[in-house]
Amino acid sequence: MSITSFPFFFFVCAVLLVYFLVPKKYQWVVLLAASCAFYVSYGAKYILYVIFTSTSVYFAANGMQKIADEQRAFLKGEGKALEKEEKNAYKAKNKQRKKRLMLCALLANIFLLCLFKYAHFALEQLNALLGLVGAGLIEDGLHLIAPLGISFYTFQMVGYLLDVYWGNVEAEKNWCRTLLFCSFFPQMTQGPISEFGALSAELFAEHDFSYRNYSWGMQRMAWGFFKKMVIADALAPLVTDVFQNYPHYTGLTTLIGAFLYSVQIYADFSGYMDIMCGLCEVMGIHLTENFDRPYFSKSVAEYWRRWHMSLGTWFKRFIYYPIGISKWSRNLGKASREKLGRKFGDMLPASIALVVVWLATGLWHGASWAYITWGLVNGLFIILGLWLDPFYAACRERLHINESAWLWRAFQTLRTFVLVTFIKVLPEVGTLSDGWGLWMRIFTNHEIPHSLRRLLPFLDWSSLFTLSHFGMAGLGTAVLFCFSLIERRRPVRSCTERWPMPLRAAVLGALFFLIFTFGVQNTWEGGGFLYAQF
Amino acid sequence: MDELLEILTDINPDVDYETEDNLIDGKVLDSLSIIQMINEICDTFDIEIGPKWMRNENFNSAQKIWEMIQTIQEEE
Repeated sequence: MSITSFPFFFFVCAVLLVYFLVPKKYQWVVLLAASCAFYVSYGAKYILYVIFTSTSVYFAANGMQKIADEQRAFLKGEGKALEKEEKNAYKAKNKQRKKRLMLCALLANIFLLCLFKYAHFALEQLNALLGLVGAGLIEDGLHLIAPLGISFYTFQMVGYLLDVYWGNVEAEKNWCRTLLFCSFFPQMTQGPISEFGALSAELFAEHDFSYRNYSWGMQRMAWGFFKKMVIADALAPLVTDVFQNYPHYTGLTTLIGAFLYSVQIYADFSGYMDIMCGLCEVMGIHLTENFDRPYFSKSVAEYWRRWHMSLGTWFKRFIYYPIGISKWSRNLGKASREKLGRKFGDMLPASIALVVVWLATGLWHGASWAYITWGLVNGLFIILGLWLDPFYAACRERLHINESAWLWRAFQTLRTFVLVTFIKVLPEVGTLSDGWGLWMRIFTNHEIPHSLRRLLPFLDWSSLFTLSHFGMAGLGTAVLFCFSLIERRRPVRSCTERWPMPLRAAVLGALFFLIFTFGVQNTWEGGGFLYAQF
Repeated sequence: MDELLEILTDINPDVDYETEDNLIDGKVLDSLSIIQMINEICDTFDIEIGPKWMRNENFNSAQKIWEMIQTIQEEE
């Protein structure tokens, strides 16, 4: 069931109606039924993998919780008289038991994720190696298709598992509720990757219908559909054209294609988030935000703190910090501080952790050398930014740059946008060599197109349909930019809230008119969401 | 507490740690500063801060960090 289709519209209407009609204590059951129906609409057999993940995590989490509860009761009761060493030995033994349970569920789910996402890639690399030594190749007979959203829901459930292991949250006793946490339909296919404490509090609470939630949620959904259907889907075929035919286009045209891709992916992914966050808002459920106007960032590091924020938080909590604060990392930092100075010793643990995080981020996005390189290039820029920060500061001081001046901040924003655009396109063209070829085309072809038709050859200049839809996407992007400027200070919806009702209705009507006039046709021509592939 | 304030001031001297209660959520300290701070705390107080403690609410103020250190000391 595509999110930009009429069946989804009717599905949402039915879910909302039933959600507010049933007794409030059963609202979460409606969400569970809706989530299962939504997932089954993409293929019935794939829900078995979601059930496997939920069930394995459910049993492991409850097993760990039982051990923790027993330990607490024992230490408060008969264990009170034990010596400190005996207590520590008892705790260590329980920790081992919990660790075994956690590792069983963790490895089973990571294995499943790797099997679906990386088995083909691993086999390709193995065959390449076998080919080098002249050995016979292994036939790829797996024919695996990854279940929708497996990267998102697996990460979410792994986060929950670790939080129970560390004692940060109590395990959910109800299996059906655990299944809902894993499969909640607005977020399971493209995130956000939520923490159990935050999402469960929202999912299992009782919600009254509120006109304000309804109004704000609907506005956000409409805005999301506009971003996805009018902007992203209009740009999708043009970007695909540039990525496929860049060897025949000028460097300037290729560069424009790269910038259009930046706009497309933002409108696509953030549009999805707006639709789903808006839908949840109608139900009174607050979903974790995934974007904070990322293209207004002043460095690559800041950009990644504002783009797909829930994934960044996950990597920070479960990979970056555990590596950065581990004992061996601390010892390495201490040793290098003594030999190479304090700065080096402070930066080394964080830099090692960043390399691992960005390698994992690349792999999470896709099993290819292009994505691995993309991840490492991002990491390289972030690490260089850390190490060269004192040098940059000295340069700024020497050049008497006023860091609070708007011109300097605008320059930083533009520089970051250009940089992330270049990095972003690398894995999207196809293979790593295709991505490299596109970069080279931009940098080495200096031909100046003499006409607009030559500059934008990916447009069908004889088609009013294409031109009007491209024009509307441009206009939509300008509105998106203006809204982002306003949202520096406050949400746009808090401004429109003060408008008279007829004006608000007219604006919303115009938005729907544009979605139906331009968006529906774009979506027929375009396709699914870019982040659904991850 | 004085030793902790010394560590924090060393990492970022521009912050008033007596009053600031939004160190992480307010993006006053970045992830690099947090790793530096934790490594300093572990050495100074001779404790191990594991990944379970890496939650924003444990690091949002000097008082919260101090409470976390005391809890870890009690547990160890």
